[in-house]
Amino acid sequence: MAYPYGSDREARVVSTHFGDPMQRRIDTYVSRGGYGALKKSFEMGPADVVDVVKSSGLRGRGGAGFPTGLKWSFMPKEQTKPHYLLCNADESEPGTFKDRELMRWDPHQLIEGCLIGAYAIHAKHVYIYCRGEFFEANQVLARAVEDAYAKGYAGTDIMGSGNDIDVTVHQGAGAYICGEETGLMNSLEGKRGLPRIKPPFPAASGAFGMPSTINNVETLCAVPHIVSNGGEWYRQWGTEKSPGTKLFCVSGHVRKPGNYELPLGFPLTELIEDVCGGMRDGNALKAVIPGGSSVPIINAEEVGRCSLDYEGCVAVGTMLGCASVIVMDDTTNIVKQVRRMVDFYAHESCGQCTPCREGSSWTAQIMRRIEDGKGAEADLDTLMEMTQQMVGTTICVLSDSVAAPVQSSILKFREDYLALMAAAEPAGVA
Amino acid sequence: MSDVPFKNPGWAGNTGDFDLTEDQVRGDDFVGTRPKDGGHASGAGAMPYMLASRDPEGPLFEGEYQERFDKILTRYPTKRAALLPALSLAQEIRGHVSPQSMDRVAELLDLSPAYVRGVATFYTMYNKRPVGRHLVQVCTNISCNLCGAEEVLQAFLNYTDAELGETSEDGNFTTIEAECLAACGYPTCVQINSRYYENVTPAEVPKIIEHLKTKGD
Repeated sequence: MAYPYGSDREARVVSTHFGDPMQRRIDTYVSRGGYGALKKSFEMGPADVVDVVKSSGLRGRGGAGFPTGLKWSFMPKEQTKPHYLLCNADESEPGTFKDRELMRWDPHQLIEGCLIGAYAIHAKHVYIYCRGEFFEANQVLARAVEDAYAKGYAGTDIMGSGNDIDVTVHQGAGAYICGEETGLMNSLEGKRGLPRIKPPFPAASGAFGMPSTINNVETLCAVPHIVSNGGEWYRQWGTEKSPGTKLFCVSGHVRKPGNYELPLGFPLTELIEDVCGGMRDGNALKAVIPGGSSVPIINAEEVGRCSLDYEGCVAVGTMLGCASVIVMDDTTNIVKQVRRMVDFYAHESCGQCTPCREGSSWTAQIMRRIEDGKGAEADLDTLMEMTQQMVGTTICVLSDSVAAPVQSSILKFREDYLALMAAAEPAGVA
Repeated sequence: MSDVPFKNPGWAGNTGDFDLTEDQVRGDDFVGTRPKDGGHASGAGAMPYMLASRDPEGPLFEGEYQERFDKILTRYPTKRAALLPALSLAQEIRGHVSPQSMDRVAELLDLSPAYVRGVATFYTMYNKRPVGRHLVQVCTNISCNLCGAEEVLQAFLNYTDAELGETSEDGNFTTIEAECLAACGYPTCVQINSRYYENVTPAEVPKIIEHLKTKGD
């Protein structure tokens, strides 16, 4: 089944049941083999679960692509204080819309993944930090967790194994920065979602000051399948360094936007032309942002060379991020769209670090001036210089995310900026 | 429920390859509404709190709401962690989070009123002042913007006859610009109270407004 569109190029692992309302019922989920991987995990023991996830090569699907098994192995082996598993369901990167679909179509898959993850890192409590705006996903998830408790898949002595794991759905309240892992922890603790300086890393001191691991929804959704089928099975898709499948959220000027689960390493051109039915209205491709608004924009020539895995995107000077492919055709006003993204970051900057707080709003002002036809070519140098000072100088990477679209668009679409200046009225002062 | 006169694949996939009724997408059999007392404690802190029916003077944390609040407290190792769910609860009842509500929450959680205000103002979903019965949040971020979100926003402002961020004279609508609502494949996405409307075009705006006026949700 497909939702809302499908393609025969897809390799469905986590999105198999998108669009099937029955999958939300625990009975259906169990009859389709659900919670079997959890049972198997309990038989394997935590160390073996970590090993199988390591062997699969699964990398974090939230954007950074950090190997999941390795992350789990950083947790203390002995439990001297409470451990926590946090599920990052605060999906808010512009262009990304996979986690909401995963939660509202297949909530038990996520819950099972959370329980396996918690077991592997000796955590007795999982917090699913779900974005506040996702009322539907929250309701679906809350009901699914309630059912899991009722049927003995969560809570005390799960399936008679003697393991106790609690699951709590925690609702956010609208702040992009809470998708940053340490910002999320502060928010969970009832504070402003300000990112924390690392170290200490979450595995040493995370939520409530205790050892914690945080994983993206899609990562945890893949875990039950890997435990059931083994690490080698997952490696049948993808590349050596980026194994497995990934949900690609395609939006913008394509005929069939939507979520497509494809093997990593899939050529970007084929994703647009074949899977998504080509460009809307037969227009020419102008630019693509392959990984959500925080990564550099690439032009049509680079699109032709880009394969969609972590390394393939780096090779053309961008990043895979969370695989949110935003496609723009030749009717697009790049300056306006970059300005809109910068406005977003200026709004969402938490304000802790000066380069980000000041830099994002200054950048927004200059971008607005250029868009309004009042810019000068020197503004581009100012933007480049200023955004350069925003990279790597702050606690989290929100600041770097401002720089990425600004710098890449000036380098690749300079003529778009200059065209707006040529159209401008001459300045009043000579 | 299923007679919504506009296509809305976010709730009912009647475009593309898949066909769903709205009941299948959000009816009681598959999703349903959560009980006021929060149901099982695991999900007590995850309730829709942008509702059409509100009582700005309603009593906070009484009866079923008190039960829910108590359940929330059992899920965290610290009292402070219940702050966001408690503020959500206050907004669910009263429609916005007033200074009085914040003070009450501060008292219940042994926090200072200044601290609670600091936190509440950090998050965009807490309405710091009353809004219309329907809070219309139009996503104008990149993916929706590429597909005409600004025209949709303008249409809502025109048809509700209100300025951006202001409430219409009949008290029904407040329209604001929203950041990415994570429905980028179904542009333009508009969140109205607790519900997502997807693939919205300017032509559909009057139908949505009429639907809200007559059906209330």
